[in-house]
Amino acid sequence: MARTFQVGDTFTHVRQCDRLRPVYYAGASGDYNPIHIDPEVGRQAGFNGVILQGLCTLGWAVEAVAVFVGDPGRVRRVKVRFSRPVLPEDTVTFQGRVTAIADGRLTTEVTATNQRGEPVLRGAVVETSLG
Amino acid sequence: MALDPKFVGRAYGPFTYEIGREKLREFSLILGGSVPSAGTFGEPPEHVSPLLYSQEAAQAGPYGDVIAFPSFAVVFAIRPFSAAIADPELGVDRVRLVHGEQELEFLGVMRPGDVLTTTGSITELYRKAGMDFLVVTTETRNAKGEPVVRGVWTAVIRPA
Repeated sequence: MARTFQVGDTFTHVRQCDRLRPVYYAGASGDYNPIHIDPEVGRQAGFNGVILQGLCTLGWAVEAVAVFVGDPGRVRRVKVRFSRPVLPEDTVTFQGRVTAIADGRLTTEVTATNQRGEPVLRGAVVETSLG
Repeated sequence: MALDPKFVGRAYGPFTYEIGREKLREFSLILGGSVPSAGTFGEPPEHVSPLLYSQEAAQAGPYGDVIAFPSFAVVFAIRPFSAAIADPELGVDRVRLVHGEQELEFLGVMRPGDVLTTTGSITELYRKAGMDFLVVTTETRNAKGEPVVRGVWTAVIRPA
């Protein structure tokens, strides 16, 4: 199925961090930093409990673009700054916009905000190949 | 106390990792939002591409086999970054550390059975606004020596 893209195209991807997602992601990724799995350590760090791994949020930003282009194998580059942790029970809305199409590459900018409207990523850019 | 800039250039690795088929599927499904139960990775959420978990669908697709979700690379490419943070001579205070920035470049798809070797080194150490920044740059190559993933990992160490 041929699909064409244009600069200015937008897309939205919503993900929920369910209560145990940091624990599930710890097992899948091997990131067992106690701040992600031990609520007491999370409280000592100044949170209400555990926080989600930033690299999981990065993965979701990549996923938002992979779903938009229809093929996860086309992702070529991702760059993000982590501005705020995602907490269990948070809903994160990813909004993407195509900013450039050149040299067989599609460049998208992605914002990610929690249900309070606070950004959890800054300056996120994901590039994919077009074919 | 600021991190000593003399550690710029310090190398970590090589670290070798072989991609296992089930681990790759587990990562893709869990990241995608599946809810695991005892002995299963859970049902695939609708938005997750079958190229990531279904051998049958993947064989009919462009890659001939299931592929890794791109950010699966963090599972193995993080090792030099973790080693730098744990390096007693560098002296990072882990309690004050947060992951500040991340860049990953994918030069090819990753498949089950790939044997990948990651090396990395500290490329920047600086202080800004009272915080220490530790930057580790990594490169992962396949068994043929071809680059597969490059990473730039930035840790921020907040003031005490």
